[in-house]
Amino acid sequence: MTKTADNGAGNNAGAGIDGSNIHPSLSESQKRSLVPFNIALVLPAQITIMAVVVVPTLIVIWLSLSDWQPTQAVPWWHGEFIWFWNFFDLWYDERFINSVVRTLAVVAICITVELALALGLAMLFVEEWWWKRLAVSVVILPMMIIPVDAANAFFMLFNDRGPINHLISIIIQEPFTFSWLSHPTWAMVPIMLCEIWQWTPLMFLMVLTGLMSLPQNQLRAAIALGATPARIFRKIMLPLLGPVIGIAVLIRSIETFKIFDPVYILTRGQPGGATETISMYMYNGAFVYFRMGYIAAAALIVLVLVVSICLALSKPLKRHGG
Amino acid sequence: MNSNSNKYNLNRRRLLKGTAATAASFAMSPAMYRQAYAQSTGLENVHNTAASAAKELAKGRDVTLTILHPSGSLGNVKPVADRFTKDTGIKFEYLEVPLGEINQKVLLEAISRSGSFDLALPATFGLPDIAESGVIVNLDDFAQKYEPEGFQKDSLYTIGDYYKGSLYGYQTDGDTYLMFYNKPWLDDEKEQKGFADKTGMELKVPETWEELDAMMAWFHRPDEGMYGGALFRTQYFIAWEWWGRFHAKGYYPFSDELEPQINNDAGVAALEELIAASAHLYPGARTNGLFENFEAFGAGDKFANIGWGGTQKYLNSDKSKIKGKLAFGNMPGGIVNGELLQTPYFNWGWNYVVNAVSDETEIAYLFSLYACSPELSTIATRDPAGYFDPTKGAHYEDASIKDTYSESFLAAHKESMKGSIPDLYLKGQGEYFDELRVAIAAADAGTKTAKEALDDCAGAWSRINRRMGKRSQLVQWKFLKSSYPPAVRDRLV
Repeated sequence: MTKTADNGAGNNAGAGIDGSNIHPSLSESQKRSLVPFNIALVLPAQITIMAVVVVPTLIVIWLSLSDWQPTQAVPWWHGEFIWFWNFFDLWYDERFINSVVRTLAVVAICITVELALALGLAMLFVEEWWWKRLAVSVVILPMMIIPVDAANAFFMLFNDRGPINHLISIIIQEPFTFSWLSHPTWAMVPIMLCEIWQWTPLMFLMVLTGLMSLPQNQLRAAIALGATPARIFRKIMLPLLGPVIGIAVLIRSIETFKIFDPVYILTRGQPGGATETISMYMYNGAFVYFRMGYIAAAALIVLVLVVSICLALSKPLKRHGG
Repeated sequence: MNSNSNKYNLNRRRLLKGTAATAASFAMSPAMYRQAYAQSTGLENVHNTAASAAKELAKGRDVTLTILHPSGSLGNVKPVADRFTKDTGIKFEYLEVPLGEINQKVLLEAISRSGSFDLALPATFGLPDIAESGVIVNLDDFAQKYEPEGFQKDSLYTIGDYYKGSLYGYQTDGDTYLMFYNKPWLDDEKEQKGFADKTGMELKVPETWEELDAMMAWFHRPDEGMYGGALFRTQYFIAWEWWGRFHAKGYYPFSDELEPQINNDAGVAALEELIAASAHLYPGARTNGLFENFEAFGAGDKFANIGWGGTQKYLNSDKSKIKGKLAFGNMPGGIVNGELLQTPYFNWGWNYVVNAVSDETEIAYLFSLYACSPELSTIATRDPAGYFDPTKGAHYEDASIKDTYSESFLAAHKESMKGSIPDLYLKGQGEYFDELRVAIAAADAGTKTAKEALDDCAGAWSRINRRMGKRSQLVQWKFLKSSYPPAVRDRLV
């Protein structure tokens, strides 16, 4: 109590709402008016959080347990309660399961390639050279392009009669008319290339920042002791870069999991759902067929999955004090 | 008097009817009055009576109707709306949305209830969902009041206008699926002999899918720059061909209890035949969309194509190398119980519907009636750049329409329209067809067998049935089955 009194009125804002830590010199009426004031300070933030996080989440949970579709001409709170039927249907929905697995595969492949490219590029750019600034600007240019435009460029490139097939025709000296975008396996390649091309620069910037902030004394000591560049990279740079890489991978994984623009523009999930990612699946379900209840259930499953993956990916960061 | 009688299309019978109706109106109840009104107005005069009624309703007010229409249809819609403005003083505004998104936009109105449009032109296959959402007006009462007798009978295809027996819209576009053939190749005597020697079949406009598949295989010689066909293999279009092949084997997609029967032996065989036919198509068949398809077949190096009146508009234009060198036919059929079963198929079309939130539902309905009257719908169909195809008897007699489509095409089109089977007009049509498209495209791409793909699709359809409410779906399915053309209905199981 003495400590509270010594700290003065400025500390009263953090006092308990029961008034036990409130300044003793305040009158009873002042104490009573101060308690609601404390709550009032916190209330806007709480209301905002409730409005933007808790309420929508509760609505999604409710929708996932209903079969509501906006086209049923009833408000969402009047949707028929169907318990866990949506989850049951999703369990048997091959397209949903395939789209989740496919998306995870896209995340794994894209992030691995992006990280490798970003590391390589960052190593090139860590030293100073005369046109480095210009080169960095050029390298990060793709991520400044609107995703739809980038996807459209790849659509043109990989079209049957596009430059890629033309280039291959020149190389192999015979007409090459492969339908990249309608092949059940290869259609995924242009989509992933588009994603990698556009977002490697972001990974590169993060890794480059990490590289430039490495403690120089350790590196200089290693060089003085005669360590090879490969050994320095493996034994010193990579471990020190760990937290940066971890964060970069985490951010990009979350982003790549939501991959939509290239899929929508290049294939729309075709052929036969072979390129359907989870965002594409959910877009179709929610905004083409208005299956809000069903897609709410799918969204909850995906949310749990993404949070689990993020927690798993962020574990190594905790070891580094993250 | 004479000029007036022409102007108002009066004759003795009509005058007597009108007089009788007017006299009776003083004595009869409003309901009976409506009936009499409808009967008193003739079919050829329906646009005038609709315009007069709209003018009366709008009297003293500045009324503007907003039409939500699919992109590319303004050339069909605007001339009619302009004429309506001239006749009534009612003005129009237009909201254009992409072709494939208009049904979504109309359905979104069910959520927003914004009243941002008074009339819309959604694709016919989406009408059940739109009707169930309550966003459009059930037109039964308006039709009873204003629609003259025989108005719908004059249309060659009206199945898509109704849902669970009630009228929800008027068809504006004769989108029956038709076949296009390279006539010089068909008429080539050397080819005829070679084909007959190889297959034992006559080289002519094919009547069955089996004949068509054999002909496409025969003409498919990529080394010589010849391709069997330009039939669609992109996911959005692929299911329609299978639908035709499946029906031609004598089956409905659902049993009487709404159990999917698409994965029966006939369905699997139809899909296997479709997949086999893919080998005889040009290289772009799996990637090209609608307009690329027109262009590809217009190059003149392919034997067969499938499409609509819009396809013919392109092929009969100067952009096409095959102009004037085409033969036409119904979508092929099949041999069921030893007899030919033809199942022409109406798979698109656009309906004028009225927004339930509109302040001017009655005037909006009257415009629909006006736009779909024989005279005005002919004007709409004339536009060579638009995509409204003939739907009414009068359209086939119009010189300008004959010039746009060619007489031989119109003969085939009319026959196909008369006997067309409907699309799957059930609530959730988009979902049923989305599952079907994905399944068929997967089988065509080789990621699943035909049986696996259709089994998966049938499972998905059962889940959709359950979710949509099987009892309610069954009501519409029975109505839909009863709407199939009698010649087909009696032979499908």
